[in-house]
Amino acid sequence: MSVVVENISKSFITKNDTINTLSNINVEFHKGEFVCILGPSGCGKSTLLNIIAGLEKETSGRVICNGKEVKGAGPDRVVMFQEPALFPWLKVIDNVEFGMKLAGISKDERREKAMKYLKMVHLTRFQNCYIHELSGGMRQRVALARSLTLDSDILLMDEPFAALDSQTKNILQLELQQIWLETKKNIIFVTHNVEEAVLLADRVIVMSANPGAIKKEFHIQLARPRQPDNIDLAYLAADIMKELKEEVEKVAKAEFDTNWTSKKDLVLPDSDSDMGTGI
Amino acid sequence: MFYLILIAIWELAYKIGVDWLRLWKPYIFPSPIAVFTTLWSLIIDGTMSIAVFASAKRIFLGYMLSIIIGIFVGLAIVRFKYLDENVSPLILGLQTLPSICWLPFSILWYGLNESAIIFVITIGSTFAVSIAIESGMKNINPLFVRAAKTMGAKGFNLYWNVIIPASLPSIISGLKQGWSFAWRALMAGEMISATKGLGQVLMVGRDLADISQVMAIMIVIVILGVAVDKLIFGRMEINIRQKWGLDKA
Repeated sequence: MSVVVENISKSFITKNDTINTLSNINVEFHKGEFVCILGPSGCGKSTLLNIIAGLEKETSGRVICNGKEVKGAGPDRVVMFQEPALFPWLKVIDNVEFGMKLAGISKDERREKAMKYLKMVHLTRFQNCYIHELSGGMRQRVALARSLTLDSDILLMDEPFAALDSQTKNILQLELQQIWLETKKNIIFVTHNVEEAVLLADRVIVMSANPGAIKKEFHIQLARPRQPDNIDLAYLAADIMKELKEEVEKVAKAEFDTNWTSKKDLVLPDSDSDMGTGI
Repeated sequence: MFYLILIAIWELAYKIGVDWLRLWKPYIFPSPIAVFTTLWSLIIDGTMSIAVFASAKRIFLGYMLSIIIGIFVGLAIVRFKYLDENVSPLILGLQTLPSICWLPFSILWYGLNESAIIFVITIGSTFAVSIAIESGMKNINPLFVRAAKTMGAKGFNLYWNVIIPASLPSIISGLKQGWSFAWRALMAGEMISATKGLGQVLMVGRDLADISQVMAIMIVIVILGVAVDKLIFGRMEINIRQKWGLDKA
């Protein structure tokens, strides 16, 4: 029961040339493991996640999930996106039940299960609301409950908290940690926030950009539940930040004007807007 | 209130133009009072109810047909890329053709009868409906489809549970537009080739030089058109907008 990524490459062909987004990615995700994929924007980390999810097609290589090659999207690899992607025509409870309904689970059973997961994200009070009546954080919690109901062993998360304000984000991170401890799913979590990665993950995979490749892996062996103000976390985060900073600068160099240099123009480690929150 | 003022202005124009200055003949410019008395007498002697009933039956049949055909055509275009590339421009072209242009065709095919009018209604609104369905389904948020796919939605399930509900707001506005096309086609068809119905009563008014009957029927046509628009489609739209939270702010 694991996800194996074998030699995945992905390139886009534009009018003028071919862009290699990912080149020869080899990585393995184990059962019950919480892995964060960390990288500067544009390094292809979301693309990698989408390929694992089956939403995008790889140029070469293959993804093997539980012994079977991934051919398309499926309920064994539920994805949580940056946007909650809830359906505005359904009530909260029906949104949570959506996947189970597709799976053909009986009405009583799915109601019971939906309530269990809504309870887990503390939103039972709002079960009969429509989506527009909820705040951003609540919506993302509903989306989390919805993705948990399918009992998939693998949960893919594409910067799920990136669009939230920092307080809400902190709460949700701790809730996710708690839920992971309870359910022991294999979570693959894409983020560009170092503190978030260190707080949540067993293993942090740092990616480099242009072309996207795995740069380094860090094993985070700290006791759980972790608190964001833990001093060890900050120490580890600084370590990873050093690795990441190089990549951020590389991306910046490629995107900014040529007169920009990292020595002259100071690059703060938290040049990404979200970095540094949660400490 | 606004309409009372409008009617007052109309009466005033009648008084000045017809009674005092004698610029216009009474049979080319109706007075509001004459229009309302004619309207009343049409209602009393049953002409109106027969006409409205006949028209309603036709439009019901024609419009239902056009919705069914429109949905099939729209879905087929969304589903098959080949059709999309080749049929869409044709439909867009046919959509610009006023439905009355189909009347000679339909009279030759069906003769001067119900089927001819129903054909005109159907062809007048089918294209509007299918275009609305096509564009509505193409413009839904792709995230909905991605999310649904990762939860295991495929094929028919994906359409039924995600794509159709997601495109419902634009489908309803398409149906609304189809309705107004159908209504116009109905009147055009009835004026030319019917033995009963609102359009026919209107034409009788013209033949008898009874301008107030013409006017009275025109008012009824407008009121009925608006009533269906507001009461049926308006309600549906409000309902959906509230659910989706589109009315906030």
